[in-house]
Amino acid sequence: MSHLLYLAGRSAWNRRLTLGLTLIAIALSVTLLLGVERVRHDARESFAQSVSGTDLVIGARTSPVQLMLYSVFRIGEATNNVKWESFQHLAAHPLVAWAIPLSLGDSHRGYSVVGTSTAYFDHFRYSGEQTLTFSAGTRFANLFEAVVGAEVAERLKYRAGDRIVLNHGASDIGAEHADKPFTVVGILARTGTPVDRSVHVPLEAIEAIHLDWQGGAPMPGVAIPAEYVRKFDLTPKNITAALIGLKSRAAVFRMQRYSNEYEGEPLMAVLPGVALDQLWQVVGIAERVLLAVSGMVVAVGLAGLVAVVLASLNERRRELAILRSVGARPREIFLLLMIEAVGITLAGAVAGVILLAILTATLAPVAAARYGLIIEQRYVASGELVLLGAVVAMGVLASLLPGYRAYKLSLADGLTPRL
Amino acid sequence: MTAAPIVRLDNLRFTWPGQSAACLHIAELVVDAGERIFIYGPSGSGKSTLLALLGGVLTPQHGRVRVLGADLSSMRPSLRDRFRSDHVGFLFQLFNLVPYLSVIENVVLPCRFSARRRAQAVSAGNSVQGEALRLLAHLDIDASLLTRRVTELSVGQQQRVAAARALLGRPEIVVADEPTSALDADRQEAFLQLLLRECDAVAATLLFVSHDRRLARAFTREIDLAAINRADREPQGS
Amino acid sequence: MQKAFSKRRALLKLLAGSCLLTPVVSQAADKSGYKVGDRLPQKPPAAAGFAETKWEALMPADWNPFKDLQALNLGGLSDADPRAINALEQLRAALDNAPIVPSLHGARIRIAGFTVPLESARGQLSEFLLVPYFGACIHTPPPPSNQIIHVTTAKPYKSDQQIDAVWISGELQTIRSETGVGNASYRMKADAVEPYVRPTPVR
Repeated sequence: MSHLLYLAGRSAWNRRLTLGLTLIAIALSVTLLLGVERVRHDARESFAQSVSGTDLVIGARTSPVQLMLYSVFRIGEATNNVKWESFQHLAAHPLVAWAIPLSLGDSHRGYSVVGTSTAYFDHFRYSGEQTLTFSAGTRFANLFEAVVGAEVAERLKYRAGDRIVLNHGASDIGAEHADKPFTVVGILARTGTPVDRSVHVPLEAIEAIHLDWQGGAPMPGVAIPAEYVRKFDLTPKNITAALIGLKSRAAVFRMQRYSNEYEGEPLMAVLPGVALDQLWQVVGIAERVLLAVSGMVVAVGLAGLVAVVLASLNERRRELAILRSVGARPREIFLLLMIEAVGITLAGAVAGVILLAILTATLAPVAAARYGLIIEQRYVASGELVLLGAVVAMGVLASLLPGYRAYKLSLADGLTPRL
Repeated sequence: MTAAPIVRLDNLRFTWPGQSAACLHIAELVVDAGERIFIYGPSGSGKSTLLALLGGVLTPQHGRVRVLGADLSSMRPSLRDRFRSDHVGFLFQLFNLVPYLSVIENVVLPCRFSARRRAQAVSAGNSVQGEALRLLAHLDIDASLLTRRVTELSVGQQQRVAAARALLGRPEIVVADEPTSALDADRQEAFLQLLLRECDAVAATLLFVSHDRRLARAFTREIDLAAINRADREPQGS
Repeated sequence: MQKAFSKRRALLKLLAGSCLLTPVVSQAADKSGYKVGDRLPQKPPAAAGFAETKWEALMPADWNPFKDLQALNLGGLSDADPRAINALEQLRAALDNAPIVPSLHGARIRIAGFTVPLESARGQLSEFLLVPYFGACIHTPPPPSNQIIHVTTAKPYKSDQQIDAVWISGELQTIRSETGVGNASYRMKADAVEPYVRPTPVR
C-alpha cells in the first residue's frame, strides 16, 4: 500500500498545476460551507447570549422581533415610544421586581447611545446570568456622565475622564449636541454582547440635550447652556423600551397580558426567548437555503476534480500498462487513482479549514464591532466536523469513478494499450 | 534427463472479445530454460497478444499456458499478476518508463511490487538501490543520469534503463517486444549485445519479438509466428 | 462503454448530492410538527420513583372557574356586550389566580409538556416554564397559573428549537406567592429532562 501512496503522490505532483486548481476550488467551497455554518451558529449564539434574566421586554406595539432587535441588539429603530407614565405604572406592579428603562435614538460616532437608570448596572444580565462589571471607573451618578462599552473604549481609545459629544440620530452625519459634552466616568468590561458597543448615559441627560431642540434640530435662537439645564425638570417624557424582571418567573404570562392590555397606550410585552424563536423561524429558511447552496458548490468542486482526473486517464494509459507490466494488479491501479482523488479532496478540505480560520481571524473584529456578531476563533467546531466528514465522504464516493474507469481500462488494455 | 520447459503452450486458442475469428491458434510451443528465442512477427501477426498471454495478462479461451511449470490459465487473476511480477521482466518498444519518476526510481519499480524480486535483488549482499546501480553501470548508463527525469534521456538511454528494470531481481524470463525498433540502425546491434550479455549474467531466458530478421543471428532459436499460428489459415467463424 | 459511464457518473453525482442535502432537508422538516393547541398524550413508559402525572392533577378537583360563565348564555351575547366583557374579565382574573393543590408539594412526579425558555446559553436550556400545550405564549391565551411549572435543571437540556416537547421528572414544589398578588405557583428542580417521543400508534 505504501508504494501506491508513493506513486500516487509522485503522479499528482507531476500534474500539480491542474490538480492544484481543483484543490483550490475544493478548498474555497469548503470554506464557504463551513463559513456559512459557523456564522449561522455563532449568530444564534450571539443573539441568545445578549440578554439573560429578563422576563419581559416592553415597548410600543410593533412586532416582537423588531422590539427585540432595537431594544436589546441595537439594530434598527423604534417606530413609537413608551410614555413615562406607562413605564412607571408597570414598574409599580406588585409582580415586578425591577424595571430598567431604555431611551434610544442618539449615537456617538456610530455607536448607540442608551439612556437608562442605574438599575441597568444592578439588574442587567447576559449570557447565563453574568452581571456587568467595570474594567475602569464606575457607573454614572451625575447628569453629563457616560459609561461606555468595551468595544467603544477600545476602538475610540477612550479612558476615564475623556470628554465626548453625542450625535442626534443613529448615524455619524447629523447634528451634534456639541454644547453639552459628556465625561466618560466608567468603562465596562467586555461582554460579547451589544452592550460593548453602546454608550450609556442617564435618562435625564437625554432629556437635557434635547431641551432646546424641536423635531430633530436645535431651535434657532434658543440655546440653553449646560449649567442651566439642571434647573429644568428633566424627568423623561418618553422612553423607547423597558426590561422587566419579575418576582415570580411563573407569573410572566400574567404580567405580559397586563402590559398588553394596559389602557394608557398601546404596549407590547415579549418574552425574549420566544421572540428570538420567531426570529430564527424567519431566518431559518434563509439559513437552510444558504447551506444547500454551499453544499452544491462543494459538489461542483468535487465534480471538477473527478473531471480532471478522468481526463488525465487517457494519456496515462501507457503509464498504467507499464505499471501492470512490473506487477501492478488491476485492483492496485484502481487504488492508485482513488488515492489520488481522495488525497486531493482531503488536502482541499484541510486548506479550506485553514482559509476559514484566516478569514475568521481577519473579519471577526469587524463583525463584532459593526454587528455585534461574535464569531469564535477556532479551527473546526463540532457541528462543522459533521459537514467536513460529509465532504470527505462525498469525495471518496466521487473518487470511485476514476478508480473504476482506470481499473476497467487497465484490464482491457493489458500490456499494450491500443491508442 | 531434460529439465522442465520454462514455457509451454498447448493447444492455445485466443479470440479477442467481439471478434469472430481467432487471433492466435498455436498447437504447441516449448521453450527450455536458458534459451534465447527470436520470434519473428510483423505487425498484426498477434505477437503482442502472444506476449500478453505469456505474461498472464490475457487468458486463452482454449488450451493452456504453462510458465515455470505453473498453469497460468487456471490461476486466479491476482495470482497471475503476482506470478508475472515475480518471474517475468518486460521490455517494450517505446514508452517503457514512467514519466514522473526518475531513472533510478523507474528501475526499482519491480521490487516495489514483488517481494521475491526484492529478495533476489539484495541476495548478493547489496541493497536494491545498489543492485540497480550495478545493472545500470553494466548497461552503460552514466551515474550522472540517475536522478534525471526520464524525459531528458535519449531513446537509446531509455531503452537501456528499461532493460535494467526488466532484469532487476533476477526474473527467470525476460520478454522483449521489439525493443530495438525505435533505435538508430547502428545502435540496435550494440543494444542487443548488451541485453544478451546481461540476460546471461542473471541466467534469464529471453523471448525477443521483432520484425527485423537481421537480428536473429544472435539467438539460439528462431520461430516464425506466422508459421506456427494456424489462425490465419482457418476459415472464418471456426 | 461510454454511455454506461456517463450514466454511472450521473448516478454517482446524484447520490453524492443527496448525501450532502439530507441533513439540510431533514432540518427543514419541522422537528416539532406540533400545531397550536396540541396537547401531549400522557402515556409515559414507567420511570423509577416518579409518578406519571397528568396536567389535570395539578388543578384542585373542585375548581371550576367557568361556572359563572356557564350561568350566562355567552352565545347569545355580542362581543361588545358589557356583560360578556365583564364575564371574560372575571374569568381571566380567576385563571390568573388559580389555586394549586397543596398536597402536591414534595411529590415526585413525571409530566410531559412544552417548554417556554427563560435561560438558555449555547443551545443548552437551564431554566424554563413547562406548559400543557403548544404555542402557549404566541397565539393562544396563556394557561391558568396552576398549569404552569417553573423548572430549573442542574444539567442543562440541549435544545436547538426554542420550544420543545419534553418529559420532566423531579420533586414538585409549591411556592407561596411572594408578590402578594395571586396564588402560589408550582416549581421544580428537575432531576431529568428528556425529549418527548410520540408513542407509535397501536395497530
